[in-house]
Formats: sequence, C-alpha cells, structure tokens
Amino acid sequence: MIRVRDLHKSYPTRFGNKVVLDGVDFELAKGERLGILGRNGAGKSTLIRLVSGAEKPTSGTIERSMSVSWPLAFGGAFQPQLTGIDNIRFITSIYDQDFERNLAFVEEFAELGPYLREPVRSYSSGMRARLAFAISMIIEFDCFLIDEIGAVGDARFHDRCNRELFEKRGDRAMIIISHDAGYVREHCNRWAILHDARLTLFDDFELAYETYKELIGAEVASDPVAVDFTNRALMIASSQHAALSDERFRALVQQGDWARDERDWSRAAEQYSKALALYPYQRSYWTQLGHMEKEQGRFAKAEIAYRTAVALGEPLADVEEHARFVFERQEGDGAQFVMRVPGQRHAAEQPPAMPDVELLALMVGASSALEEPHLLAAIREHATLDELGADLALRNARTSASMEGPELDRILCLFGDKLNEGRRADIRRLIAAGANFAEQLRDHAALGKWPRTRAAIDARQSQHLNRINPTTRKVRA
Amino acid sequence: MATSLTHTAPLRESLRVNGRVIGALLVREMLTRYGRHNIGFLWLFVEPMLFTLGVTALWTATKSVHGSDLPIVAFALTGYSSVLLWRNMPGRCIGALWANLSLMYHRNIKVLDIYAARLLLEFGGATISFAVLAIVFIAFGILAPPEDFLAVVSGWLLLAWFGCALAVLLGALSHRSELVDKLWHPSSYLLFPLSGAAFLVDALPRVAQDVVLWIPTVHGVELVREGWFGSQARAHYDLAYLISFNLALSVAALIAVRWLARRVVPE
Repeated sequence: MIRVRDLHKSYPTRFGNKVVLDGVDFELAKGERLGILGRNGAGKSTLIRLVSGAEKPTSGTIERSMSVSWPLAFGGAFQPQLTGIDNIRFITSIYDQDFERNLAFVEEFAELGPYLREPVRSYSSGMRARLAFAISMIIEFDCFLIDEIGAVGDARFHDRCNRELFEKRGDRAMIIISHDAGYVREHCNRWAILHDARLTLFDDFELAYETYKELIGAEVASDPVAVDFTNRALMIASSQHAALSDERFRALVQQGDWARDERDWSRAAEQYSKALALYPYQRSYWTQLGHMEKEQGRFAKAEIAYRTAVALGEPLADVEEHARFVFERQEGDGAQFVMRVPGQRHAAEQPPAMPDVELLALMVGASSALEEPHLLAAIREHATLDELGADLALRNARTSASMEGPELDRILCLFGDKLNEGRRADIRRLIAAGANFAEQLRDHAALGKWPRTRAAIDARQSQHLNRINPTTRKVRA
Repeated sequence: MATSLTHTAPLRESLRVNGRVIGALLVREMLTRYGRHNIGFLWLFVEPMLFTLGVTALWTATKSVHGSDLPIVAFALTGYSSVLLWRNMPGRCIGALWANLSLMYHRNIKVLDIYAARLLLEFGGATISFAVLAIVFIAFGILAPPEDFLAVVSGWLLLAWFGCALAVLLGALSHRSELVDKLWHPSSYLLFPLSGAAFLVDALPRVAQDVVLWIPTVHGVELVREGWFGSQARAHYDLAYLISFNLALSVAALIAVRWLARRVVPE
C-alpha cells in the first residue's frame, strides 16, 4: 500500500514560488494501476519522483508499505563511458542482487549481443531503450513507477515490454504517465487527472478523459490556432508537427481513433473535424476524416477531405484509390477523375485545399462558396489557388466581411512572401478600418504571383465603380 | 515526513546498505575516471606521484630556501603530498552532484554517498602516492624513515579530515551557486604557499608565525613533519585548534548537505 497525504511541492524560481502540487491525496494498493493524465508541465513527473522517494516533498507524507521502484523511463540513467555490463553491475550492487542472474536476464531480454561489453556511448537510442528497460526489470518491486515508457522501440520490443510489465507483473501496483492516452487507457484500472496542482481520481476512463479534455480546453476552443508564418509552404510544414504536440489536438484525434476502432464513424468524423478546426493544414487527419465520411456514405464530403489531404502533401498513392472510389460513387463511370498533387511552386500555383477555399472565400467575401456543392466544385475543378481566387473574386460580392485574428494571419500567409512585417501591419490596420481586403492586398503588391486573381479583382472593382458612377473609370485611367 | 522501509530498518542494516552503495559508487567512479585503457586505475596514485616528483625535482634544482637543514627531498615530499591530499578533495566534490544527478533517482543513493565515494578515492590516491614515494626514497637512501610513525599518520588523517569537511561543504554549496567553483580555484592556489607545505613555521619570524598558525593545515603539516623528522625540526602546532576547526567545519558541511538533500531535484 502507498498512502499519499496532503502532498505539497513548490519550487523557488526567479519569478516567485511555483506551486506544482497543492494538496494531493491518494492510496494505491497492490494490483491497482493508476494512470495519470495531465498536460506538459502539470507536475506528473514530479509526483512520481516524490512517490519514489528520490525527491522530498515541501510538506505532506508518503507512506510506503511495499517496495517501490525508481521512476522507470526509457532514457535510462547511464554513464556513457561505462559499458552495458558496468551499468548492470552498478544497479545490481545498489539493490543487492545476484549479478550473474541479472546479466543472464539482460543478455536474453535486451538482445544487445557483444554490444553489452561496449560503452553505452556507442549505442543507438533503440539499444539504450532496450538496455534501460531490461535493467528496470531485473529488480522485483511491488510497485512500479513508469514515466513515458511506452514511447520508444519497434513493435516487437513494445510487445515484449508489455508482456514483462502487464502479464508477468500484472499483480503489482503501478503508476503510469504517458503521452499516449491509449496506453494509459489500456493498461490501467484507475485514472487520475493532474491539473492546476491538484489530483482528481476516476474509476472510469471515459469520464476521466472527457473531464481532461474539458480542462485543457479542447472542447471550447474551436478557432484555429494563431500562426505567424511568412508563407503557405511553411505553414503546412509546421502545422504537421505543431498539431501533434498540442494536447488539445492530440486529445481530439485520440478520441477520434477510439471511435473509429469502435466503428462509430460519425463520432470519429466529429472528433477529427474538431481537431482539424484547430490545425486546418494538418494533412494526415484529413485522410482519416475522408475515411470516416466515406464509411458514412457522405461521398462529397469524403472527396473534399481526400483532395485536401493530397493538396497538402499526403502521398497520392495512399489516397488515390479511396478518392477514386468516392468520386465514382457520385459521378458514375463516364466522368474524368483527376487528382492534383502539389509541387515545388509558389502558393498561387498549388492545388487548392479545403482551408484555402475557406480563406479565399473569406477574403473576397464569398461565403456562399462554402456551401457543399460549390465547395466540392471549387476544389475539384480548379488546378491552382490563383484560378480559384480569380473565380471566387469574379463570382461574388465585392465587400469583404470584417475579420481579425487567426483568419487574417492565415490569409496573409497565403500571399506571404511579398509581405514584410510593416506591410502586414498596414493591411491589418486598414482592414480594421473597413477597407476591402482583396484590394488592399493588390495595392500592397502582394498579388505579383497571382495574375488571374489580380485581374479578377480589377475587373470587379471597375464593374463596381461603373455601377456607381460611369465617369470614375476615366478618371482612374 | 516521508517514511519508508529503509528508514525504519535498524542501524546495522542501514550501514550495510550505505557501505554497498558507496562501494558501487567507488567502482563506478574509478571506471568513469580512469577507464580500462593503458594503466587504468593505477593513474589514481601515479598522477599525484608525478606531481610530487616534479615539485621535488624543481625544489631540489632551485635549492629552495626553507630555513632549516632538513634535506630538500624530505621537505618537498612531506609538504607537497599533504597539499595534494587536502587540496584535490574540494576540487573533486565541487560540481560532483551535477554530474551524478541522474543517480538520485535511486532512493538508496544519498547526496553524501556521492561525495563519500569521491573522497575515499581521493584519499586513497594521495595516500598510496605518498607511501610509495616514501618507500622508494627510503629504499634508495635518499630519505630517512620516519621517527614517529604514529604522529605522521595522525597528522595525515587530520589533514584528510580537514580536506573532506571542506570538500563536502564546498561541494554542497557549489550545487546552489557557481560562484564556489569560480572562487575555489584562485583561493586554492593562494592557499598553497600559506598552507605550511613550503615553509617550516620555526623558520619564520615571530609575527609571521602568529599569523600562519591561524591556518588549520599548517598544524597538520607540522605534525607530519615532527613525526617524520622528530628532533631535527622544531614543530609548532596546536592539536586542539586543528581538531576544533575540523569539527566546526564538519558540522557546517553536514548542515549544508542536509539542506541540499531536501531540495535536490533528480535529473
């Protein structure tokens, strides 16, 4: 049994005392596996270090009436100059074990062969992970503290680790922290959320995860995350990584994945859409969303998602078969199926993706373009963003809706390269004062690579001026 | 506060765990410091031997004045060996915890164990170096054997005690402030000529004697020299002063370590 009572921990920093844990209570009995959810920096690792006894709490008590492991992590605390064997010998003597038996186990489990006699410095990260895990398993504890151990290694190694931990040692107590909520769900039988320095316990994972998502704001914030890049290519490139390191995005797609595994397509589609609302330029989940729409028979939506994924750089080979399937279901055999892939070209010459249509429509004030038949047509029929921009500008009302924040930044991103900081600031100011966005872009020379769009904006403007006062045209000329 | 099985275990059991941990740390320290290449851990005492030999040669060549008729080799050996003994200890302990922070994940390893392992190693190296050189010099007839072996040993141990207490104090403080590391280097160099290694107190003028006798290491070195040369050198030392200084320093060091251990964050 481990009893944690009223645990407090704070660290002094340059900007005052940082409270990491503020009155944490829980008990853990043998056979209980507690999974802790919490965002980066919430104090999960600190809590584990305190329970292990490696670090002292500011106040509160931890009673351990069973043996508790050190915090197991794949990094492993190795001295790089020492060999694998030296490290085994060290741990063996610290914990008063039989060296020969431990060596035999590590040799068998880590499969390092002769490398065991080489300095750890020369190991690959995978080899280090195998050694670290094997060393963690040589000492039998009643309670294992596991910090991000499910994150490294190939599938076979993963499988063997899980067998060692959860089958052979299934009767032990464990506290598990992982970025992978699926891992926590699968291997724990109690859960807790560490948020704002407090720990809340749950017996039901779904309830815990819903609460966690609410706490980190995955449900409320459906606006795209603000970006500040110079062009669209950079925006796409960074979105891939940024999305996956955002807890909110991860939480949403994680639930999407679970719903998908339960064949609950509409719920999965809903979760993926929410995630993509945060990071519209994240390509791989557009493919997932496409699959979910396809399964529900919503072929137009599926085609939009597939085309978007490809336009943002998903390999055509992964998507083409599915896209062709949903295309043929809508059009019959006669129609021509064309998919366009992006290349090393300017943004204006890339094939359009769903978020581009939204932004361009917003820019020219063409909200009707976002209704489904128009939307699919816009993505399917236009080879380049410039073409799409021209079409939208010609077909739609001239006044653009007032806008601010992330959308404005994203649109500026599309036209990026020509706009330095000063010009961006000018445009933001003028838009806020009610100026026409498209014309402002043109006047700030942002449309150099967008000849068709510029021509369309000119045409719309002169039509408009003619309508108000036919003579103005001469004045301008 | 936090209790655990190890805390409630009897003293004998705790000491056994402690000994095991320090032993393991010692082996680990030797392997990381000296490796398995060329002469390996023999460097432990070959390195200080080279230092002492070098200084002895230098002082002999320049016929350093030390104000007595003691043979210069004997003077240099006793003097420089004792400097190495207490001066290298703080050097090894300053920053030692940063280098071993990942070990603090293991509940059984305490901050003091890390210092203890390094100090044992340092003490062993300096002592073996001193002993080997002395035996060689005696065998070649360059040096007479010590007159009072026990006095040499007690002087040597008192110096080691001083070095350990200073090392642990500075080691613990250095974990909180880099200033310690920066200031230790210059002060250790300045202390060297004042430490009693390069002069005999008896040869100094009366005023200077009163001043240098405030420095604790002077008493230790004088005791070592008295043990070695006996009647040849009139030694000046006050054991009560050195022991009380060491005691006070040890208490300060243990307080610093305890303070640090409560705040250390494993890597």
